[in-house]
Amino acid sequence: MIRPSIHSGDSGQKTPEPLALSERVRQIHETILRAAPALCAERALLVTRYFRRRTDRAEPRVVRKASALAYLLRNKKVRIYPGERLVGCFTSYRVAGGLYPELHGVAMMEDLFRFDKRAVNPIRVDPKARRRLLLEVLPYWLPRFVALRSFSPLGALAFVLDQLSPASYVVNETGGVSHFVPDYAGLVSRGTEGFRRQAASRLAELGVDSPAGPFLRSVALVCDALEAFADGYRRAAQKLASREADGVRRRELERIAEICSRVPRKGAGTFHEALQSILFAQIALNLESLDNGVSPGRLDQILGPFYQRDLAAGVLDREDAFELLGCFALKLCEIVPVFSERTTRIHGGMMNGQAVVVGGTDAEGKDASNAVTDLLLDLMDRLRTRQPNYHARLHRSSPAGYQLRIARALAGGAGSPALYNDEVIVPILRAQGMTERDARDYATVGCVEPVAAGKSFQSTDAALFNLPLFLELALNRGRRFGSWRRMGPKTPRAETCSSIDEVIELFRAQLEHGVARLLRALAAIEDGNARWHPTPLTSMLLRGCLATGRDATHGGALYNGSGIQGVGVVEVGDSLAALEAVVFQHRRASLREVVTACRQGFRDCDALRARLLRSPKFGNDDPRADRFVGRAMELFAATLEGRENRRGGPYVAGFYSMTAHQAFGSLVGALPSGRLPGTAFSSGLSAGPGCDRRGPTAALCSVASLPLHRAPNGVNFNLKLAPWSVAEPAWLQGLVRGGFAAGAMQMQINVIDPKILIEARDHPGRYPGLLVRISGYSSYFDDLSPEMKQEVIDRTLCEAVAG
Amino acid sequence: MDATAGEAARGLIFDVQRYSVHDGPGIRTTVFLKGCLLRCAWCQNPESLRPHPEVAFYADRCRELGQCLAVCPRDALQPDTERVVRDRCDACELCAAACPHGAFEVVGRRVAANELVEEVQRDRAFFEASGGGVTLSGGEPTLQMAFVGAFARLCRDLGLRVGLQTCGAFGWAALEPLLSDFEFVHFDLKIMDPQDHRRWTGADNRSILENARRLAAGEWPVEFRMPVIPGRTDSLSNLESVAAFLHELRVERIRLLAYHRLGEAKLPRLGYPIPPLGSAPEPNGKTQLEAAREHLRGLGLEVLT
Repeated sequence: MIRPSIHSGDSGQKTPEPLALSERVRQIHETILRAAPALCAERALLVTRYFRRRTDRAEPRVVRKASALAYLLRNKKVRIYPGERLVGCFTSYRVAGGLYPELHGVAMMEDLFRFDKRAVNPIRVDPKARRRLLLEVLPYWLPRFVALRSFSPLGALAFVLDQLSPASYVVNETGGVSHFVPDYAGLVSRGTEGFRRQAASRLAELGVDSPAGPFLRSVALVCDALEAFADGYRRAAQKLASREADGVRRRELERIAEICSRVPRKGAGTFHEALQSILFAQIALNLESLDNGVSPGRLDQILGPFYQRDLAAGVLDREDAFELLGCFALKLCEIVPVFSERTTRIHGGMMNGQAVVVGGTDAEGKDASNAVTDLLLDLMDRLRTRQPNYHARLHRSSPAGYQLRIARALAGGAGSPALYNDEVIVPILRAQGMTERDARDYATVGCVEPVAAGKSFQSTDAALFNLPLFLELALNRGRRFGSWRRMGPKTPRAETCSSIDEVIELFRAQLEHGVARLLRALAAIEDGNARWHPTPLTSMLLRGCLATGRDATHGGALYNGSGIQGVGVVEVGDSLAALEAVVFQHRRASLREVVTACRQGFRDCDALRARLLRSPKFGNDDPRADRFVGRAMELFAATLEGRENRRGGPYVAGFYSMTAHQAFGSLVGALPSGRLPGTAFSSGLSAGPGCDRRGPTAALCSVASLPLHRAPNGVNFNLKLAPWSVAEPAWLQGLVRGGFAAGAMQMQINVIDPKILIEARDHPGRYPGLLVRISGYSSYFDDLSPEMKQEVIDRTLCEAVAG
Repeated sequence: MDATAGEAARGLIFDVQRYSVHDGPGIRTTVFLKGCLLRCAWCQNPESLRPHPEVAFYADRCRELGQCLAVCPRDALQPDTERVVRDRCDACELCAAACPHGAFEVVGRRVAANELVEEVQRDRAFFEASGGGVTLSGGEPTLQMAFVGAFARLCRDLGLRVGLQTCGAFGWAALEPLLSDFEFVHFDLKIMDPQDHRRWTGADNRSILENARRLAAGEWPVEFRMPVIPGRTDSLSNLESVAAFLHELRVERIRLLAYHRLGEAKLPRLGYPIPPLGSAPEPNGKTQLEAAREHLRGLGLEVLT
């Protein structure tokens, strides 16, 4: 018999302490935390001015879009802040968001007079800027923004009205597509020169008059624009250097000028140049189209070779690289989305979804973690910023040190990274038609969505779909409880169902009707985006577009698709499980009684509601509930199956919810799960609040038992743990490895003492940097709505007590 | 051990707790077996004591619907706060099924060894990832020796590690052949003085100490543990006797367990009018645990907490 070490004390594994943040990075971080987010009108004004001039009206839209971006990049303010080593600004403020009036900006402007007064996510608005937005921007775009142009006049009215308070679904693609991992590997190796050359030779092959002509010409324009953008910073750095008294800083500025003279035009020669090149492109991409989901991707893979080369050449050391990465991360924090209060309900937390992923395998399937991986993991532990959205890939042979670093960061409450299981995700991507090499090289976009880096134009956040609403319709013949207006087909009375399968059939009928409506709207928006909002810079940085000569919005990218999120799938599953147990199996109540109780919002139905609440619930490794969540996932995925978007890609399901589980939940009546009307659903694939009572392993087994292959667009699963339960890093590591070995796809772990959350709720501002993971991303606690704050606290408290 | 033996050996358990991280190394599933010979005044799991299924009544959940009274076939329910007439109730579960508010819970279910193996296997991935396994606790597992043996053997054959927690009151001859199937034995020491031991636990400690001697003399990995119960186990004389005893056994280490009073809330649900053996002592703060730890350290023991 083996004599085990009985004490579970030290695991014997050790990794070096994380590097400390440099004084420079700490100061920049403080400045950014202190800066109140502002609305920056610069982008809206410059883009509007360009289109108002109409000098190139005869040109195809894609050329005009390229010229507009060029105009913006050439004319926007150039600012280099104290101590910066990486330069380039998204906006004219330190922390701000722009407006995209040609996309969703018009809708956001409804809050123009309230941005600064609202309680949740206030945004400063300069009165002068407000006036100019109202007088110059709004009148021009009001009749011209993409959503409006995508429909017939009546259709547009109906669509816009519906989307103002969306019950069934939200079409995010009206704000543009973005949501991709740019080919930054290509950019740092070839520079814009390389892309310009490729476009020119393609143009020579196809001819200027070919259908590809305008797009290929526009690529040359955006290359010029990026170079001009960098050149503006070169000049500014030189000017600052010439006036700089401090010799050290002067040399830094001269170095910046030198770097800006080379990149992004040329391929990067050093680690520093690579980061600067990526940053310029990152900014330009966020200005070209929707400032959401532009994800740098596998930075450790891109930067690893530069790091090794510089280290060998003696021009860089570990601390230096760590500082540069810190500067890069902080740059990404300078942009926030400008959302109206309506939109904030669904996309709360002020985050842009700039995902950075570390670890995983290379295209051959071998572990790919490297020295930069470790630096990035240390960075997410030390510099807990809302952006980038950090993810880490894990596979069977992920090194122990890598796992321990992750466990240590998470157990210490870093809230990042979110974890991704290669063993599950790679086969899912393969099944979507991706090559083995591309699938192994996947990166994540936005919140949780796996795509091929630099190759997928996946519109991963095309729309969010309110699944429980369709269960409500199924129980009430296509009408919401208490409403006379019929939204769905007039299906048979639910009361006549004699088995759970018949109930599910009603749900399916309502679902299909709703999805068909959504897909019609989406197709119109896809056409609208292709016609009115092509994105040449995005396209240049997506493999396939130059080869085919087509813009990404026209399906030029190598892989295409649209991801639609089924929100509230656990609520649907729990409701079906409750009906099965209470009505059909134990016959404790009739279906009529349950439907009546739901219609009344459980008024005077305490006993029935209690029974429904005590029926099996998802998250306890109980197949009696888990299988119904699986059924609901399958149903939703099947309704999307076989439909193609206008770019020639499939519609695929995802199950993550951002904050839409709150927004959608507030609109849905009582459900057979026992949930009261208007209350939130659970986030993504997480168990309902207080429903998972058998601890984290059971919850992970539940999620691993689901048909995750039906969720190619990704899922989010929140695991909130009390600090005591992960006192040993080995426990947390065991949870992660065990959960992934069991087949879970994704998990995000929050280790937070509930006491701190309560204090932060009661005293906003006391913990400005307190980061919590929401649903596929992190957000500062202070930036959450009161409801979301309470949700985070409730979940944490319940874990602490139940655990 | 063949499968039929696994089916034949049935045990009575009252809980299966997953993600237990304080009952041995790694992530574990702790199985609580029902029935105990001791009646410790501080018992934290009074639902473990009786060796048969019973019904717990949660008065706070009761909405006075009376549905339970109507369904009870043995007339074992009364409309008072205690509700269950213990000597008539046979834990048939009808009241639990009838009550929509869950005011009744049946404590104790019979399970075949192989069924239980299936159940704990669900966390196998986590055991393997963390070096964990299953811990048999209670109650007193060794009261169901055949079941425990069958379960441990089935687990061993599947490569699952099983640890045993015991109060030490078992027949040595019955347990000894099973010992090699266990990853570890957690052995509780409480009070060394025979009279005090009998007073606060209701049982003699001679055979317990004798079992401790035999276990320590063998090659089995044993961890001695002691709950720090203020005024009961943490007196200086008891700590000194514990240390002397362990020195005699050439054991250098002891784990101290903190005490909490959560068991008390369970008493009325189970129809114990008063705690089984006198009232539970005041819960100790961390200081008492620390004091005991310091003292035992001073007596030359390595102390884990």
